[in-house]
Amino acid sequence: MIKIENLHKTFALTKQQRKELNTDQKIATAVQDLSFTCQPGRIFSLLGPNGAGKTTSLRMIATLIAPTSGQIQINGIDALKEPQEARKHIGFLTGSTGLYARLTPIEVIDYYADLYGVDKHMREKRKEELFTLLNMQDFLHKRIGKLSTGMKQKVSICRTMIHDPSVVIFDEPTSGLDVITAENIIKLIRSCKEQGKTVIFSSHIMSEVDLLCDDLAIIHQGQLKFNGTMSDFRTQMQTSNLTEEFIRIVQAPNSAL
Amino acid sequence: MIFRIFRKELLDTLRDKRTLMTMLVIPVLVFPITLNVFVEVSKSFEESASEKTMKIGIVGDQSRRFSKQLEQIPKELGPKKILVFKDSADLKKGIESDQIQLGLLVPFNEADLRKTQQTVPLTWLLDASEVGRAERAQQYGASLQAFAEAERLQTLGLRPEQVKPLSINTINCASDKKMVGQLAGGFLPYIFIAFGFIGCMYPAIDLFTGEKERGTLETLLTVPVSRWKILIGKMLVVVCSGMLAATCALIGLFISIEFLDLAANKELLDVIHSVLTPVFILSMFALLLPLVIFFSGVMIPIAIYAKSFKEAQSIITPLNIVMVLPAMIGFFPGIELNLNTTFIPVVNVVLATKELVAGTLSWLYFGSVFGVMCLLAALAIGLSYKQFGKETNILS
Repeated sequence: MIKIENLHKTFALTKQQRKELNTDQKIATAVQDLSFTCQPGRIFSLLGPNGAGKTTSLRMIATLIAPTSGQIQINGIDALKEPQEARKHIGFLTGSTGLYARLTPIEVIDYYADLYGVDKHMREKRKEELFTLLNMQDFLHKRIGKLSTGMKQKVSICRTMIHDPSVVIFDEPTSGLDVITAENIIKLIRSCKEQGKTVIFSSHIMSEVDLLCDDLAIIHQGQLKFNGTMSDFRTQMQTSNLTEEFIRIVQAPNSAL
Repeated sequence: MIFRIFRKELLDTLRDKRTLMTMLVIPVLVFPITLNVFVEVSKSFEESASEKTMKIGIVGDQSRRFSKQLEQIPKELGPKKILVFKDSADLKKGIESDQIQLGLLVPFNEADLRKTQQTVPLTWLLDASEVGRAERAQQYGASLQAFAEAERLQTLGLRPEQVKPLSINTINCASDKKMVGQLAGGFLPYIFIAFGFIGCMYPAIDLFTGEKERGTLETLLTVPVSRWKILIGKMLVVVCSGMLAATCALIGLFISIEFLDLAANKELLDVIHSVLTPVFILSMFALLLPLVIFFSGVMIPIAIYAKSFKEAQSIITPLNIVMVLPAMIGFFPGIELNLNTTFIPVVNVVLATKELVAGTLSWLYFGSVFGVMCLLAALAIGLSYKQFGKETNILS
């Protein structure tokens, strides 16, 4: 389970950044007062336009960056006080995930298994399961730099899941992928749900969210605009389709929601 | 866990052709190839210069006295041909057009000066930019001087020692080892500083900026391993790479000396062998290790801060000059290791190595230099840790 309360994140802007953003403000607020809960066995979607604060929120949940204030709990562990303990429960995958081009898939997966402290017996079992599931046997010993995008995506999935995390974070996981490669991710997200894992994924594509999610949070300019189940969202819709409703919510002032 | 990270990073680094080139291939080959080419080329130039027939133009030698004396000079000093010119302007033209290679100007009153036992001023005309000409003129001049001196002494009825009241000799009390240390000792630290730096450069950029640029760092930081362990694991690879590059450069130099006859002089070779003791090698590496850690600790914060490989390279490359320039101090005579120079990073290692080669380094100074460099290395590691902990630096 992921539980976040009153999450707030600000960044100090450098002179260069102030110039680029055409602002005099020395501090930029990426996320403000964000609270929601992701339940096990359910898919939670964080939806928002580009620059809404989705990636910053997910990076804070993954303990990559620390919030300015607020609370994050991963399976009951305080992620701010015990980030390393929290990381043991997390699998993190982004659409822009890179892999070590000079290593082979098996070397990368063994490396991450070691970093996650997966014991030898468990590792062999997980490898066997994942290689079969993702049909990876043919390219396990080839250098990653020589693999296709689809093959690389499979290696990324395997690396994310090798320690059998109970919480899986996907940051725009299908971004830049073709439909066939993206299908592997969709299958993975569904499979995680079936296994009772807590899944959170960010997206700016409403159709993808509609296809997968049980619970939904819409954020814009770092603020929460909607938080509820997908069926609540549908019930409360004031427009004719999901995309239009998403745009309406994002563009509406807070008092009009 | 640090060792696991080190192992993976080392494997990744060893599969990078660019790093392998700067870490192993170039350092090993640079000295055997460049020194061999240099020695062979200069040898062939010298040989061709000594075998070349030197045409000597002569003006004012009315009695053909000097022409005859020049012809008497043994052929071992190189073949020659004497040509008579009418005046000095003609002689100069001959030099400029390479019709002749040397010109000898004899004063027209030479016979009078000789008879009255005065000094006869002889003048060589030559193109000093051409290899071997000045040397040949000096040798021929010395022979002519010897002929004239013998003749003058005979005329005066004197023995040579009667006009040479003093014979001044110099005895060099420095050991051969000390002489080698003083003359060539500065070269050794220059090599390992230059190659130690270059060896660190590519892995530092690849393992930090490269990982950030390729998008692998974000994933790596989600694993339940402390950032300092990740940093140290990576840093160890950078340090190993610097040490390996410096070692390979020294191996290359050793190969050049041992197998390519760089030190053709047997005495010099014996001195070099006497310097290369296990204690010397261990002491040298003890100085090199904190220096390379210091280098990597300076480069890593830059590599962490840089947003692209190109940006990191553009900052670190000029830094190379800043770091390696003090190494040249080793070439200057008179600058010694003392209480002040012990505290100047890089310079202290250069001077300590120079004294180590000469066998004059005291343990007190060795310990001081080692301590200062370890302190700087620790500060550099601290700086790297601070930079690696900054969110803005590690995430794009």
